[in-house]
Amino acid sequence: MASIAIPKQGGYSRPLILEWITTVDHKKLGILYLYTSMFFFAVGGVLALLVRTQLAVADNHFLDNHAYNQIFTMHASAMLFLFIIPIWAGFGNYLVPLQIGALDMAFPRINALSYWLFPPAGIIMFSGFLVKDGAAQAGWTAYSPLAKTLGTGMDLWIIAVAMLGVSSTIGAANFLVTMFRMRAPGMTMFRMPIFCWTMLVTSVLSLLATPVLASALTMLFIDRNFGGNFFDPNGGGNAVLWQNVFWFYSHPAVYIMILPGMGIISEILPVFSRKPLFGYKAFIFATMGIGGLGFSVWAHHMFTTGAVLKPWFGFMTGLIGVPTGVKMFNWLGTLWRGQLTFEPPMLFALGFVSMFLIGGINGAFAAAVPVDFAIHDTYFVVAHIHYVLFGGSVFAVFGGLYYWFPKIWGRRLNDRLGQIQFWLMFIGFNLTFFPMHLLGLDGMPRRIATYNDFNNWQLLNMISTSGAFLIGLSMFPFAAAVIMAFMKPKDQPNDPWEANTLEWATTSPPPVHNFDEIPEIHSERPLFDLRHGTHSNH
Amino acid sequence: MPNNGMRRPARRAIVLFSVGLLALAAIGTASAAVGQPGGITDEARDMHGLYLFTLALGAIVFVLVEGALIYCLVRFRKKSDSLPAQIHGSNIVEFIWTGIPVIIVIALFSYSFVVLRNVEHKEQPVDLTVNVTGFQFQWQFTYCANDLGKGANAPDKARGDKYQGPCATEADEFSITGTAKDEPTVVIPLDEPVEFRLKSNDVIHSFYVRDFLYKLDVIPGRDNKFTVTAREVGTFHGQCAELCGLNHALMRFQIEVKTRADFDAWMAEKTAASKAAARVP
Amino acid sequence: MAAHGATATQHKEPLSNGMLGFILFIASEVMFFGGLFAAYFIARADSAQWPPNDVLEAMKAAGTSGPNTELKLEVALPLIATCILVLSSFTVQWAVMQIAKGNRTGLIWGLFISIALGVTFLTMQMYDYSQLPFSSGDTVWATAFYTLTGFHGAHVGGGIIFMTVCLVRAMGGQFSAQHHEAVEAASFYWHFVDVVWIALFTTLYIVG
Ligand code: HEA
Ligand code: HEA
Ligand code: CUA
Ligand SMILES: [Cu+2]
Repeated sequence: MASIAIPKQGGYSRPLILEWITTVDHKKLGILYLYTSMFFFAVGGVLALLVRTQLAVADNHFLDNHAYNQIFTMHASAMLFLFIIPIWAGFGNYLVPLQIGALDMAFPRINALSYWLFPPAGIIMFSGFLVKDGAAQAGWTAYSPLAKTLGTGMDLWIIAVAMLGVSSTIGAANFLVTMFRMRAPGMTMFRMPIFCWTMLVTSVLSLLATPVLASALTMLFIDRNFGGNFFDPNGGGNAVLWQNVFWFYSHPAVYIMILPGMGIISEILPVFSRKPLFGYKAFIFATMGIGGLGFSVWAHHMFTTGAVLKPWFGFMTGLIGVPTGVKMFNWLGTLWRGQLTFEPPMLFALGFVSMFLIGGINGAFAAAVPVDFAIHDTYFVVAHIHYVLFGGSVFAVFGGLYYWFPKIWGRRLNDRLGQIQFWLMFIGFNLTFFPMHLLGLDGMPRRIATYNDFNNWQLLNMISTSGAFLIGLSMFPFAAAVIMAFMKPKDQPNDPWEANTLEWATTSPPPVHNFDEIPEIHSERPLFDLRHGTHSNH
Repeated sequence: MPNNGMRRPARRAIVLFSVGLLALAAIGTASAAVGQPGGITDEARDMHGLYLFTLALGAIVFVLVEGALIYCLVRFRKKSDSLPAQIHGSNIVEFIWTGIPVIIVIALFSYSFVVLRNVEHKEQPVDLTVNVTGFQFQWQFTYCANDLGKGANAPDKARGDKYQGPCATEADEFSITGTAKDEPTVVIPLDEPVEFRLKSNDVIHSFYVRDFLYKLDVIPGRDNKFTVTAREVGTFHGQCAELCGLNHALMRFQIEVKTRADFDAWMAEKTAASKAAARVP
Repeated sequence: MAAHGATATQHKEPLSNGMLGFILFIASEVMFFGGLFAAYFIARADSAQWPPNDVLEAMKAAGTSGPNTELKLEVALPLIATCILVLSSFTVQWAVMQIAKGNRTGLIWGLFISIALGVTFLTMQMYDYSQLPFSSGDTVWATAFYTLTGFHGAHVGGGIIFMTVCLVRAMGGQFSAQHHEAVEAASFYWHFVDVVWIALFTTLYIVG
């Protein structure tokens, strides 16, 4: 751990496959992260489509209760632990060193270790489907004592999540040292690209919160396998304890799942408005504010346990809306008086701004404690989850893919297909998740394998299901664009978008050593300065 | 390169985008306003008021922000290749748009704080106590035959016998339970504060009645309780709201609000029945 | 990090990257134990008795716990073990000071003694476990006790391995007055393990 790995590019004599397996190059590892997490996005998505099929009509028998509980649990576990969290590590790995003008991450071998913990964890988690009485089925929140009563799949889930936890914890330390120590000359902290700043705060959250999840998982594992009593009242334990420890991690974790996305669109919006990000510093402080407040609101998931200090947690939760609002308004300020064009990256970024707003406002409903008494554990919360995580994070993921594809693969994704994907996704997304608000308000609980139609929930569920398949459909233009791009030769210039940050100063794709020469850095927009001269940068 | 030929798709993009959002806003506010039922208890009506207040705030924020967004998309789309003024920010506006949300949050918090106090009114006289036990995967509702009257308060249980139940003696107890097929029905009197005491012996469940606009978790090792005063007669649906295992989805029940007279009649019949059952050797 | 000299920020840093990374890693370890401690105190706070003998009686009645189980700890042995561990913190620090002066033999002896003390500590803990009148299942108190001390023990083991690696490298003559970072890292880690134990001992044995 202490001995410092010196980055060495794996020898070129080796066959390609070995080349990729043994690589410690941040770019290759970043690409591996991207591929793997997109794969799990597809898997989690297919599971979601199964969920939607089951819920399409009342009293459906497409899936039985046992199968349903496994599938929605694995859907969420895959989407959160195997897709969103790792894909940010993917973008971060590829981009952070390039954006700060470094040769690589601070600890390339540890970086490789972080990645190689990830695919096995995914396999272990899904191997639950093969064991007796199936995969984990206590939801992604694994509430105890329920989780104590379930089969082996639960243990596999615990082990997998713990591995992913270790992966992101050491990954976080790696990112922090990289950003503190490896910046190019002239790249002061307050000239770092905003995406790096969001990765920095995210890393702090991972470093401090993820180990607490590890301790929670440890206790659960002991309860399950060594007759422990942490969460078992019959042994003097406390059933609510799990929720406290779990959410102490998992609320900060939801910001781990969104902040890098906010960073990505804060890179995209300025480029396609041809203006700097409005309030660069304010944005950084807002990000820190969200990170800090994120540690003081976990019990807003537990209002209906009657075991938490409701007013305090309600108030702190509301406050998180303030720094997030600052970001919203800064994005609008960036568009204001700009010269906007609407290439796919911009479309997805705008999708984020408009949809995450809705998710955030839902959050404010849940923060008003008595309102949460009604909507807690109903589909209103499911709507919230997806407006922030899909309307937010997933839109940012695709925005980022369209934006950096030319840099990473030297080819550009077809604009027209990108627009088609965006509109299918945007419409499908709202069809799927908007009705869930109404279902929730109308009292439909979440996590139910089936419902009877006594207060006609069927129509809205049917709409939601059709929307889900529309989202599924929207993946095909994307797949097509990717395939088409790879059939063309690498033809992209260094800086196809007239962008601002350092990664665009090198070739597309960058050489193994990243930069032949690094331009002088006088601001947070070195490439803008390169195009227009420093003086015009204010 | 990015600018060529972007005008027409751009305009279409903006139009579609705006239409989409406006439609959404319309359905949203319209349908969500009727989205939450008014509720049938004093507490629920209180909370529904807060819901409408939150909805109003949310709608205002939504319309202003999305409005500004759409305005930008229409007004500021690329017209020339000249570089727009490079504004880096402004502290005044940052202060303003930090301050306004703070005010909104404080307003929202104050109102919810008041409602919270009303809903959880600690020291409230109770007319009837219903003991609710959640178990995988159904409910049991236990009344005490000796403690059904208005105003009568819970009996003191300082007696030596083995009996650990909620009532004075085992004989006073009678319970209602059911199955997924025929759901149990818990009956409460109209216009009287009724207390629900929640118990679980296995995992966490959650006692949820939509028309109470309220749910409270049923947690092993922890005795939760809440009080409501129903203001409408009728039969309403209830359901377990915390994932509790295989048949979580089937932990449904009915709750029926009757006038005092009807309630007493129903109760008499029930107790008679259970006595009869008890007398059978 | 020489390889990065070209692009790394120029001014001299007090800590090397490796050291900074290692300190961050220890910070995450602190949070891990923080989680376990929090669990202990929450369980303690909402128990009628601590140790929860009332619960134990109930469990005995229910047959989920052995008839002659008792929830009590012997302080004497752990107290000695504590002194040994604290002592080892000094010896490892002494080792670092020696190599800083360029004294290799001092380093080797310092590490060797620290490892020996660490092993002694673990052995005593094992013996202590074997004597305890309760097992991990006997109420949350017992579970918490074994979890906290067990994970600490595992970390002691980790520290011992770490120091052994340093010892081997030291005997291979790989460390010098200028270059002995691994040893420093090992000492940091060992001090951390030591501090955690002191917190544990106070919580479990003194505060109770
Ligand atoms: C990306 C992930 C993400 C993000 C960013 C958020 C953001 C927020 N979340 Fe969300 N949340 C989840 C993921 C996320 N959440 C998940 C997965 C769950 C379910 C877990 C489970 O049970 O399975 C959940 C559940 C959840 C609950 C529990 C609901 C329940 O179970 O009863 C609550 C309660 O307060 C909550 C609140 C909030 C708030 C206040 C924010 C705020 O950060 C939002 C702030 C943003 C805005 C408010 C909009 C922009 C602001 C302005 C325009 C300024 C003006 C507006 C105001 C002042 C209101 N969330
Ligand atoms: C990032 C997070 C994320 C994402 C992206 C999604 C995406 C989706 N989710 Fe998910 N969901 C969660 C996180 C997420 N969800 C969480 C945390 C929960 C809570 C779970 C719990 O209660 O514990 C949840 C719960 C949840 C429920 C509630 C289950 C219940 O409570 O009973 C439902 C119900 O409809 C649902 C539906 C969907 C749908 C239709 C999508 C759609 O967006 C999916 C779109 C479809 C695809 C993306 C498929 C595309 C792929 C293909 C078609 C294959 C071919 C294509 C290629 C290979 C490119 N989700
Ligand atoms: Cu009981 Cu869900
Ligand atoms: Cu939260």
